[in-house]
Amino acid sequence: MQAIEVSHLIKKFGSLTALNDISFSVSEGETFGFLGPNGAGKTTTIRILTGVSRPTSGTASIFGHDIEHDTIAARQSMGIVSENSNVYDDLTAWQNMMFSAELYHVGRKEREKKANELLKKFELYERRNDKAHDFSKGMKRRLTLAMGLVNSPRLLFLDEPTSGLDVQSNLIIREVVSDLVLEGVTVFLTTHNIEEANIMCDRVAIINKGRIVAIDAPESLKKTIQSVQSIEVSFDHNSADQLDKLSRLSMVNEAQKAGDKFKLYTEDPSEVINAVMGYAHTHNLKVVSITTLGPSLEDVFIRLTGLQRTGEKIHAID
Amino acid sequence: MPSTENRGLAERLSCELSAAWAIAKKDMRIYYFKPNIIVSGLFFPVFMFLAFAIGKNTQPGTLIPGLISITLLFSASSIEPVSIPIERRVKTFERLLSAPMSLYSLVTGESLSGFLYSLGIACLPLAIGVIVFGTPILNIPILITSMALTAFCFATLGTLFAAYPTENVGEVMSILNTVRLPLIFISGVFIPISTMPRIGQQIALVSPLTYGNDMIEYAYTGKSLFPPLLDILALIVFILVFQVTANYLYKKFNE
Ligand SMILES: Nc1ncnc2c1ncn2[C@@H]1O[C@H](COP(=O)(O)OP(=O)(O)OP(=O)(O)O)[C@@H](O)[C@H]1O
Ligand SMILES: [Mg+2]
Repeated sequence: MQAIEVSHLIKKFGSLTALNDISFSVSEGETFGFLGPNGAGKTTTIRILTGVSRPTSGTASIFGHDIEHDTIAARQSMGIVSENSNVYDDLTAWQNMMFSAELYHVGRKEREKKANELLKKFELYERRNDKAHDFSKGMKRRLTLAMGLVNSPRLLFLDEPTSGLDVQSNLIIREVVSDLVLEGVTVFLTTHNIEEANIMCDRVAIINKGRIVAIDAPESLKKTIQSVQSIEVSFDHNSADQLDKLSRLSMVNEAQKAGDKFKLYTEDPSEVINAVMGYAHTHNLKVVSITTLGPSLEDVFIRLTGLQRTGEKIHAID
Repeated sequence: MPSTENRGLAERLSCELSAAWAIAKKDMRIYYFKPNIIVSGLFFPVFMFLAFAIGKNTQPGTLIPGLISITLLFSASSIEPVSIPIERRVKTFERLLSAPMSLYSLVTGESLSGFLYSLGIACLPLAIGVIVFGTPILNIPILITSMALTAFCFATLGTLFAAYPTENVGEVMSILNTVRLPLIFISGVFIPISTMPRIGQQIALVSPLTYGNDMIEYAYTGKSLFPPLLDILALIVFILVFQVTANYLYKKFNE
């Protein structure tokens, strides 16, 4: 049985089509990522899969329970971590945990044990009797996660779990999620952070404007566009028009400056290396370093979603 | 097998009730002491009532039943119209909407906090009646039943109005007030229904406060427009209608 089974999902808000015929399935134990820019339809998908919003057409089921007709059974095995850290500011961390557990019918002994364990894991135990109002952004995010796990879900929805957090909070969250995966929990996560999708997910669906444009393992996605490779090169000194000149070399599709390095996109790396060497020679430059790079998931993403490169180096499409 | 089915049903029901109770407890913890709730739930009915009572030439003790009914009306319907828009804004409402419980239990849980709040507040006019004016109570069981049903009815009304999809408390409150303020005048609290023009009397029939107030009046004086059983029935029908409508609206507005 699939953990999530989605078939021809369409969601319209008035004249806006937020989801346009989406189908996919997630098997039990899998970590599945939904990668897409703002407004792609990631949260809308989660809201439908958790039975908060109803699809205009199409179906979705969770462990075989239809989300529209067997909503409560489908929800019982879920943990939901929404994109906003929606904790109750006026309740303490402990009270927040207890409330969440009671909503999911977790017995008293079990919920106290689970809350202790989770608050410790998320490094909130010392602050358990403080109101969430006084918590930092990262602490609220961690509390939201802890609340989502208090019913020991078989399927966890994470809507942008680490967006805007510092390295430490990020690490804790990633660690907890990878522990869950070892325990066999299915994870559905959305992100616009490509690195995160790459590290955490078994499979990634790239979604843009309500359509899934690709769906595969991160490594296979990279292979699908082998044609976009790049050369990274740095010289002993740079002139102002260097980028412009490099971009005009033969076989270079696009050139970018990243720190003191230049990244040249091409379908033919060896040809470009020759051209770069010739360029260095005629301009009296020394090549300090030169490397060939395969396509990154970022490149795949930009390719498939048709986004324009704007910054020097894009790690997350924020 | 019917026995396992029954057990499943009983378990389901107990889950629903405990989730509803969790929501009620949460509301009590967070909202009972919010200033705007105290203002609209406590001071509002008291001042409203004084404004009308002072000009009248009646014994203050006889005004106690009316004071109890409008206190119930205002306090019961002032928690959810505040808490739900706030929770919509900070997105905690999504938690409730995505919990493994039916919308009926959600509406019930939300209403429970308003219900308990207003019963607590209504003890104030009740105590004033007994201690200050020595107003006699003829039928205590009827008084308890009438207060409980009236409180639950208006708490559900509050939850129903809070279905209006806004994150702004003022918006729900102003819509609610256009309904609950007129209720005071057409339900026999200030103006006896028997002295109202025919059209007024007909309107009074569709106000739940008419029946609540009538029954509370009966508990105090033994006199009423309708037999208590009819009042009880009418209030139950109103509660059911509010529940079903609230359910429909929460579903509809939940795009
Ligand atoms: N309740 C709603 N009413 C109208 N339009 C909506 C509603 N919810 C979402 N939308 C629209 O649907 C589209 C998809 O929104 P969604 O929130 O799913 O995007 P997302 O991928 O989660 O984006 P983000 O990365 O910013 O969270 C957007 O154009 C959004 O404006
Ligand atoms: Mg989103």
